[in-house]
Amino acid sequence: MTKGRKFAMYLFLCIMSFISVFPLYWMVSAATNKSVDVTRGRLIPGTYLIENFKNLIASQNIGRALGNSFKYAIILTIISLIICSLAGYGFEIFHDKAKDAVMSVILLAMMVPFVATLIPLFQMFSKVGWLNSTIGFILPTISTPFLIMMFRQSARSFPHDIIEAARIDGLSEIRIFFQMFIPTMKSTYAAAMTITFMNAWNNYLWPKVIMTDEKSMTMPMVVANLTQGYVTDYGMLMLAVLICTLPTAIVFFCLQKSFAEGITGAVK
Amino acid sequence: MSKPSKKMSLDKKHNLTGWAFLTPAALLILVMSFVPMVKALILSFQTGVGAAMKPCGIANYSRMFKDTVFMQSVKNTFFYLIIQVPIMLVLALILASILNNRNLRFKGLFRTMIFLPCATSLVAYATIFRSLFANNGIINLALTKLGILDAPYSFLTHPTSAKIVIIIGLLWRWTGYNMVFYLSGLQNIEYSVYEAAKIDGASPIQTFFKITVPLLKPTILLTAIMSTNGTLQLFDESVNLTDGGPANASITMSHYIYNMSFKYVPNFGYAAAMSFFILILVAILAFIQMKVGDKRD
Amino acid sequence: MKKKIVSLMLVSAMAVSMVACGSSDSGSGSSSGSTASSGDSASTESGSGASEGGDTLTVWCWDPAFNIFSMEEAAKVYQKDHPDVTVNVVETPWEDVQTKLTTAATSGDLSTLPDILLMQDNAFQKNVISYPDAFTDLADSGIDFSQFAEGKTAYSVVDGKNYGVPFDNGAVIGCYRTDILEQAGLTIDDFTDITWDQYIENGKKVLEATGKPLISMQAGECDLIMMMLQSAGSSLFNEDGTANIVNNDALKVVAETYKELKDAGVLIEVNSWDEYVGSITNGDVAGTINGCWIMASIQTAEDQSGNWGITNMPSLVGVDDATNYSNNGGSSWAVTANCQNKELAFDFLASTFAGSTELYDNILSCGAIATWAPAGDSTAYAEPNEFFGGDAVSAKIVDYATKVPSNITGVYYYEARDAVATAITNVIAGSDIETELQTAEDTVNFNMGQ
Repeated sequence: MTKGRKFAMYLFLCIMSFISVFPLYWMVSAATNKSVDVTRGRLIPGTYLIENFKNLIASQNIGRALGNSFKYAIILTIISLIICSLAGYGFEIFHDKAKDAVMSVILLAMMVPFVATLIPLFQMFSKVGWLNSTIGFILPTISTPFLIMMFRQSARSFPHDIIEAARIDGLSEIRIFFQMFIPTMKSTYAAAMTITFMNAWNNYLWPKVIMTDEKSMTMPMVVANLTQGYVTDYGMLMLAVLICTLPTAIVFFCLQKSFAEGITGAVK
Repeated sequence: MSKPSKKMSLDKKHNLTGWAFLTPAALLILVMSFVPMVKALILSFQTGVGAAMKPCGIANYSRMFKDTVFMQSVKNTFFYLIIQVPIMLVLALILASILNNRNLRFKGLFRTMIFLPCATSLVAYATIFRSLFANNGIINLALTKLGILDAPYSFLTHPTSAKIVIIIGLLWRWTGYNMVFYLSGLQNIEYSVYEAAKIDGASPIQTFFKITVPLLKPTILLTAIMSTNGTLQLFDESVNLTDGGPANASITMSHYIYNMSFKYVPNFGYAAAMSFFILILVAILAFIQMKVGDKRD
Repeated sequence: MKKKIVSLMLVSAMAVSMVACGSSDSGSGSSSGSTASSGDSASTESGSGASEGGDTLTVWCWDPAFNIFSMEEAAKVYQKDHPDVTVNVVETPWEDVQTKLTTAATSGDLSTLPDILLMQDNAFQKNVISYPDAFTDLADSGIDFSQFAEGKTAYSVVDGKNYGVPFDNGAVIGCYRTDILEQAGLTIDDFTDITWDQYIENGKKVLEATGKPLISMQAGECDLIMMMLQSAGSSLFNEDGTANIVNNDALKVVAETYKELKDAGVLIEVNSWDEYVGSITNGDVAGTINGCWIMASIQTAEDQSGNWGITNMPSLVGVDDATNYSNNGGSSWAVTANCQNKELAFDFLASTFAGSTELYDNILSCGAIATWAPAGDSTAYAEPNEFFGGDAVSAKIVDYATKVPSNITGVYYYEARDAVATAITNVIAGSDIETELQTAEDTVNFNMGQ
């Protein structure tokens, strides 16, 4: 690569990163400022962080909300990944006309705005008594057409001769899946895990309908609580938002290596 | 048993295994999505205020075409779809192929930074964007300082600029998200292919179009369908950045449906009918995309 | 083959068991004030709906510094005579209250609702008329509604029945930066009992002397429009529920006045609520006109203490019944139909928000100003407020509140409000008032005709 081109590339990346990170910087600096300074557009970090933190702790049960959010997001991510990757694998590896048709029908499930199915879903859940529960939170989003399709598309590049070879060796189909497919598709799993965790973490409309109990509140609900009064404390709000953003960012940072460089010899 | 029938039974066995693999997921979708969907479909043929509903035939469906605000929202949504989705996907592809370069330094950091926007909580994102584009916000400050503008321009109170702010918001928030799929999809292309292309003297641009794009086709299809679906159901930006304004110039279909359900006198029959209108639009677009992009070579 | 099926089943069993263990803690997840979700299918009242026990009240409201604080104070007052009663306040943002209420009422399962919830006054008619089964008529509550300002109780009266106990006051006040006015040679008296014409004249003087507009407003939101309209006792609906937009002379004057304010540069439109508050605390404008709750936001700018003054709002010119008083915002307590112990809820409200001057004295510190007349006589209301130039602002506001003309919210309030906001936005952009109001009325009629 020529020097000029290299320079241009880094410059482009730096600009993109700056644009991406700037609002985040603003958030961090707002979290360290007094509310009135935030509304006055102060951009430099201040010294009010500890005060904001004290106010936040005093007004909201952050610990409990974080605990809930982690619990829901982790359980949902694990179950969702297993069930959806099984299905995506099944759709692609054993594909035939009938299964392709089922796939198209499943895709339809994501095309209706959630607002429309909210009431019937709520009726179902309240009849079975799943309001304010983990299962109530996770069940509607365990199996998503999006994840199934994602695994189906990536299974397309999973070489069929490996499967044939494994079958000749006498491996059962389920073992092929767990011992060959999952390790090979580490990068897809890492990406899927990031996305699923993030969606579960930020999920808001559904929990706000079924969680009526303070003990089940999640982080996004706490953030929403802070924006509702006649007066908004922007410094405190941005601190809460920061706390709400960090976990996804950390999950991403830890996993990004796996989905961008995770591939090992298995395919070759 | 004769040979052909044994072969048949093996096929049948695979077939059954396949069904077994996808049953848990399919069952969940059936119960969690299709059952409520059918209930919503029934609701879409009913009308009434609150919980008192009575059948009304297709009145809800014919009603939406006479609803000027809804029609405006359809136009707005398509505007976003046509402008924003292609730009976003191309940008995400370019970023992913740059960040897939093994010789690049700090790529983990770059990747994380570019992904960060979609992890940012909506409240922060909306607050920040509104303040950036405010009359005395940084954007106006920069433009007036640079002499491009004489006086601050009120971005969110003009129809076209309000739409553009929403598009910028969408690009900012979702480009990194799509990049993730491309990055993970690129792992299925062996790196040696790139090295070979380099030795053959292919320019990065040639490599991009001749190798990256064709081999990423399944992933591109996935992201195209997802983005189409996401844009047609766009809600957050319309509500939080512009509140649909000025004068409904930036309101989206989902935002209007939400208003119809929770802000205005609740009319769930009509809201359901509009939702199925979205379903039909997405289904048609997804069908076209599948036809074009989902061939197994 | 068998083996594969078995292993598949194992996988699904694993998944199911994980789901199950996720759900097993659901019982512990339910609130202290309500029963734990019961295992038997006989009871569908799982989750934390209204309190079942005889001596607990579950309440939904949303602002820790304001209405939650007030509710907790009310609980303290009530507990003095009823030590065994607990009030379980669940912090629920207003939008969530509305979403939860709509979801529960539409699906016909009210068991998730609390005993008492706080409702925005503007949404009261809509919710009670849409879901009559979800609320309780307060006729038997023993509350004397005549002690509240009439303009206030009107929000929560449907078919002559009271469904809400008024809580906070939304009386409109004009707030001005006296130090900025001074630079233009004006005082707060020049803004008291004036008309909008005088306001614009004053505004031009301020603009010339200081370069600052008098007021900022959020574009696309018609708060000021609605305040102006109500100040003349006019509404967007007629008594019979039909839309009153295109033939509403007061509204036409309002639209013209608003455009004039904007064109003269006396009023500046900003993009969002944050920017609106920012423009006030930054000193970009010389004042604002809003519900009295805006004082709490103004007071965050501690460095401006003593530089603010409060008076009434300007009145419309050329409109019958024009006054200098109006209302914006405010909320009332509603008792849901799911309330298991209505006697307790009634008695609680009757002896606190509708019967305790002590309570109103206690919550004055958070800015909650009563609409309950006896509270205004308390000495606490006559105390001077240093931030607002040593004026007895609370007493002033209670006085304003009694003079607010009542208006008709109507069931389709939000539809009409949005349609009018659209019309005004277009008028400011140069459209003809008559045509825009006609379009607005058509939109509202379209929404009403189902």
